[in-house]
Amino acid sequence: MERNRFAKRRMKVSVQDRAVSVVCYLFVLFMVAVTFLPFLNVVSKAVSSESMVISGQISFYPKEFQLGTLKAVMGSKVFLNSFKISVLVTVLGSVGSLFITVITAYPLSKKQLPFIKGLLVFFVITMLFSGGMVPTYMLVKGIGLLDSLGALIMPMLLSVYNMLIVKNYYEGLPESLEEAAKIDGAGNIRILLQVILPLSTPVLATIGLFYMVSYWNDYFNALIYISDPSLKPLQLYLREMILQSSQMASQMDFTIDDVMNKSPDGIRSAAVVAVTLPILVVYPFVQKYFVKGITMGSVKG
Amino acid sequence: MKKAVGITPTGHSSPLAVVRKNLSLYLMLVPGVLYLIIFKYIPIGGLVMAFQDFNVFAGFTGSEWVGLAQFQKLFASPDFYKIFRNTLLINTYKIIFVFPLPIMLAIMLNEIRCMPLKKVSQTVIYLPHFLSWIIVSGLFINILSPSGGLVNQMITAFGGEPIFFMSDNRWFRTVLVLTDAWKEMGWSAIVYIAAIAGVEQELYEAATVDGASKLQQIWHVTLPGIISTIVLMFILKLGSIMSGGFDQVLTMYNASVYETGDIIQTYVYRIGLGKMQYSFSAAVGMFNSVIGLVLTVAGNMVSRRLAGRSIW
Repeated sequence: MERNRFAKRRMKVSVQDRAVSVVCYLFVLFMVAVTFLPFLNVVSKAVSSESMVISGQISFYPKEFQLGTLKAVMGSKVFLNSFKISVLVTVLGSVGSLFITVITAYPLSKKQLPFIKGLLVFFVITMLFSGGMVPTYMLVKGIGLLDSLGALIMPMLLSVYNMLIVKNYYEGLPESLEEAAKIDGAGNIRILLQVILPLSTPVLATIGLFYMVSYWNDYFNALIYISDPSLKPLQLYLREMILQSSQMASQMDFTIDDVMNKSPDGIRSAAVVAVTLPILVVYPFVQKYFVKGITMGSVKG
Repeated sequence: MKKAVGITPTGHSSPLAVVRKNLSLYLMLVPGVLYLIIFKYIPIGGLVMAFQDFNVFAGFTGSEWVGLAQFQKLFASPDFYKIFRNTLLINTYKIIFVFPLPIMLAIMLNEIRCMPLKKVSQTVIYLPHFLSWIIVSGLFINILSPSGGLVNQMITAFGGEPIFFMSDNRWFRTVLVLTDAWKEMGWSAIVYIAAIAGVEQELYEAATVDGASKLQQIWHVTLPGIISTIVLMFILKLGSIMSGGFDQVLTMYNASVYETGDIIQTYVYRIGLGKMQYSFSAAVGMFNSVIGLVLTVAGNMVSRRLAGRSIW
């Protein structure tokens, strides 16, 4: 009797459990679909014929497949030049950022040395308070960086947040390694190069990727500091592509959406696809490093 | 405690002697410190222009001092209430509607036992975080366009009237909240996924032995296990209530939705760099930074007390 009731309860629980599982699967699949479908839609528009796009017949698969629009966008001089600028800024910027991050994080990880804690506060303050857009603009203008690659790199060269992640990582390394090198007569710089750096490839991979993403995705510095068309990075190129129609909109008193439809919708889709493509190609291979990074970042500074 | 040779100050040597001994370490800090002074501290000093009637030709020293006039002008302006309200409302809506999503997602992902499916789902859901707001805006301007856009295709298929999402003041904030959820939901879930992974497996086993259903396990084991993470994230979110969403709004809004979409920072950008009212917009920006600072510091104190965790 007693046993029977327990069995019944178990069964009720297992039915309920199964329902919970089904809900979980459905929710996750729904979220995956919601994330994925916009991409499918924009890719379909980019590779469908213009007439199909204009008549609004494209949903999740291409109709009258063609690659002409995509080729035209990716082959255009403006796109290629912007692509070149973006690659250049991303590579130069990330290398410079990694360098300054490492040489800052390493000494700051030596908490027991005098003045280090005070210097750390000096760094953390800049995370909490900033001069803001206008004074920063004045500075960049004042030191003559307007319309130069430097304006795209220098304002974001050192991320204190990333630096703290590396610093925390260094603090977690076993002290005995450094001691051994010290006894062998190695100086601080040699220890950093020969002991610490080889041990920190995982954290540097993650932080390097964080920097690369922020350089690649940055448009705001370009927007306010760059007016020379030959220095415009990819994100700004895309923004101008999207805005061209809305500027027309304000002049001609059309709504933005109205103009969007009269302008070549397929070209805009192709531009979105072309700018997203480099990230899509690299992303699956480096995804795990990002995930590691955010869990590292949750360590207290 | 172990002492590193030559690094730990001994009782005899003065701080300066230790510095001299480890001079190379301190020299390494020079570029970073110089960088912060030039690119962060000088602009903070530049905020004095908020108390001036700054004139590019006269510079900081030659411009006329006006005290708090710029701030008075700000508080008297009707724009102030509009941008203050918009900033607060948009970020509050995001907290109410977007904040719970990654928690739900993380808990539900945890119930998925099919590993390949779990991995693929995570990969897809994290992706939008790595796209710039320019790309995401481009994507959604396409999808939400009133004719030919995916969403309006569906609306008209069901006999509705097309909606001008991007230029309709009744819809613009909803668009901001939903696209923010779309972009950041997956990435924000990682923190909770990591927290759930840290919950002791024995607790689940014990609960199963006691006959707890899955729902009971989620309620009595998973949630208590991640509550401190939730509190910390919530407080961080509150700290950004005056500053969140700049890139998003700047890339999505247009003149027809200034009424509901214009936030403090987009206003600073337009007035300051667009119309070159440097002093006034520096004052607006400073007002925003100070509130942000107070919120972050206060939030951190609350978090330390409540959850025993803090950002620094």
